[in-house]
Amino acid sequence: MKKYFSLLVILLVLVMMAGCKNNDKIKITIGMWPEPFMTDDVEMFNEWKRLFEEDYPQYEIEGKPYTYSVDTFFPMANNGTTPTVFQTWFTEPQKLIKNGFVKDITQPLKDLGWYDKMDPEMREALTHEEKVYGVPRDGYGLGLFINLSIFEEVGLVDDWNNDGVLDIVDQDGNPRYPETFAELKQTASYITQTEKTLYDKNVAGLVILSANNNGGWQFSNIAWNFGAELQKQNQDGTWVSNLNSPEAIEALTWIKEMKWEEETLPASASLTYGDWYNKVATGQAAMAFAGNDAISMPITNYNMNKDHVAFVPMPEGPNGEQYSLFGGTPYMFASQATDEQIKGALLFLEYMGRSPEMSEVSKQSMRVGMETAVAKGMPILPTIKPWINEDYLTYANLLEQQYVNVEMSNFQDFYDRFHDMRKAEEPYYTQDMYEILDACIQQVLTRETANPSALLASANAQFQTQYMSQINE
Amino acid sequence: MNKVIKKNLGGWLIMLPSIVLFIFFVWLPLASNVSLSLFETVGYTKVKFIGLDNYKAVLNDPVFVKAFMNTLKYTFWSILIGFAFPIFLALLLSEIIHLKGLFRTLIYFPNIVPGLAVVIMWKYLFNPEPHGTLNAILEVFHISPQIWLNSQNLVIPLIVLTMTWKGAGATTLIYLATIQGIDNTYYEASRIEGATLWQRIRHITLPHLIPTIRMLFILQIITVFQVFYEPLVMTSGGPNNSSISLLQLIYKYAYMREDPNGISKAAAIGVIVAIMLFILTFVYLKLTKEKE
Repeated sequence: MKKYFSLLVILLVLVMMAGCKNNDKIKITIGMWPEPFMTDDVEMFNEWKRLFEEDYPQYEIEGKPYTYSVDTFFPMANNGTTPTVFQTWFTEPQKLIKNGFVKDITQPLKDLGWYDKMDPEMREALTHEEKVYGVPRDGYGLGLFINLSIFEEVGLVDDWNNDGVLDIVDQDGNPRYPETFAELKQTASYITQTEKTLYDKNVAGLVILSANNNGGWQFSNIAWNFGAELQKQNQDGTWVSNLNSPEAIEALTWIKEMKWEEETLPASASLTYGDWYNKVATGQAAMAFAGNDAISMPITNYNMNKDHVAFVPMPEGPNGEQYSLFGGTPYMFASQATDEQIKGALLFLEYMGRSPEMSEVSKQSMRVGMETAVAKGMPILPTIKPWINEDYLTYANLLEQQYVNVEMSNFQDFYDRFHDMRKAEEPYYTQDMYEILDACIQQVLTRETANPSALLASANAQFQTQYMSQINE
Repeated sequence: MNKVIKKNLGGWLIMLPSIVLFIFFVWLPLASNVSLSLFETVGYTKVKFIGLDNYKAVLNDPVFVKAFMNTLKYTFWSILIGFAFPIFLALLLSEIIHLKGLFRTLIYFPNIVPGLAVVIMWKYLFNPEPHGTLNAILEVFHISPQIWLNSQNLVIPLIVLTMTWKGAGATTLIYLATIQGIDNTYYEASRIEGATLWQRIRHITLPHLIPTIRMLFILQIITVFQVFYEPLVMTSGGPNNSSISLLQLIYKYAYMREDPNGISKAAAIGVIVAIMLFILTFVYLKLTKEKE
């Protein structure tokens, strides 16, 4: 009995040792890996993994589906279990960098020749003290999302060429959407009133977000178009808060008038990101400010007809200024990753078709990505490109021309004008500024007597004391 | 000391796993949090000892003052709306003769619904649009739509109402168990003496409930002081921070803000909340002990 027991123990130890044996490969965990139920995407990623491991046998790819959220990321980063590469959004890099949770990848980017091919403004958003910490997946610009069914109901658009698609431009190519903030107010108000009168329906003309920093985010763009500069640099080089300029007050007053005079905004004053597409897709609202990267959300989540959708440029302000807030989705890298792992993770991006390299494998992945999206019934639209090298742009544009499956005339103006309109977010403590501005927007949305000037003066003092004063110390 | 341990070795061995777990999961994190609050941090890494600077910074944050006042309001409203209600329900249940089990289950039912589902459901009910559920019901009675959670004055009482809807059932059962534990001879004697229902409640039930009421009162204050996910989901702390709680502010400092010392400032607010609760509990226990 004792003999058998000793044999069993030896056997167990051997099995454990075999289990612990290192296969000497460099393991890379991919956080953007799709969840198991997304079978089409998993198949696509498995193929990329197979090709990559064939070409780079020293690496082993492990899929670790991870959807970034601040409350799960921080503990993971603290105990070193972050995936080697993961996807986040452009609001996060500065916070993650300052907390030491992500790795500087400047040198590997330069070694691969990607540094200079990256869109300079996107690179800037991922840079801290001249070190780059991420790779952009794609960009977005804010614009105006339009539910054309509602526009048609109130007689603002029709399908003049009878192709089954409602048209936001007329026969002569003239826009039938609001081009200025004055027109936006007029159109939104007209829609609300007409829907009430003709159909006894309560339809908001426009959705402006107001909570979870989304209010401040959208207000930035509105205020810029009214001519405001929310942070400014003095002649001595110091940066100061400038939330209560006359232009910013005018922008907040515009929102207040939309709420109380025109009565064309939704009743809720705590609208977060998911609310805009819920309201627009379900016919509760006609228009919403949104990023072009989210055009598919109401279509894929609420089965909205893609032929009843238009996305147009942000309206022009009273003094002719017109910007589109510009951001994006980056890939970032765990701080505990080794140089070899970083290199491998960057190389894997090429196999995902997310790099500036135009190798055969990269081109094939870009094409497969498009085909998978088409198979899933997603609307295919142009994207804001993260790389600026000619060969990448040529191929990406060619693919888009082949796969675009919407009536581009309902989107063309946005894409044509975006390059000249785009403007990156304010540079310092952006999310904290948005949090303070959220409160101002909520005040004007809930109190008819709210004073935009006083609200912004108080917000400005708070932001300057609590945050901006720190950067000049 | 050794003698004490040797004498009660069996007892100490039984307690050992709990003590180890307590040290590991409660006391060490607590001590670590206090220590974190005194440092400048990068992520969770302590970089430099800065004494009480984090405390000074958060106390000067206007949102902290608002969150503190709101937390007091949550506590006040929870006592006003939610404290007497379970006692009333327990008294009612104890007097019911038929279908007692059914009513007990129905009252407890909201408690088994996951907390997030409850607040999401109530968020929908409180939809301020004219087609929102409660507004649609009001319309039947020709009452104009209400803005519910958008009202800076109503938002906290409404959130407390949601919390009461979910939590009252469990508290009711605790009271009910206490009532059922009261010696029946008291009631029999009172009936023989011709006592009315109110007199029975006033002179027999309530005096027996007092120790439970006292315990649940302080527990309620401690729980409501830590209100977090209800305002986070229902209002994101708004409108204009009028429903933000201290724990929600901790979340904002730790995860949302770009402040490089966010984690240690969040730890500082945690310590402040703990001190407040300690003082409240101490004063309360002192006062009630003196009364006894």
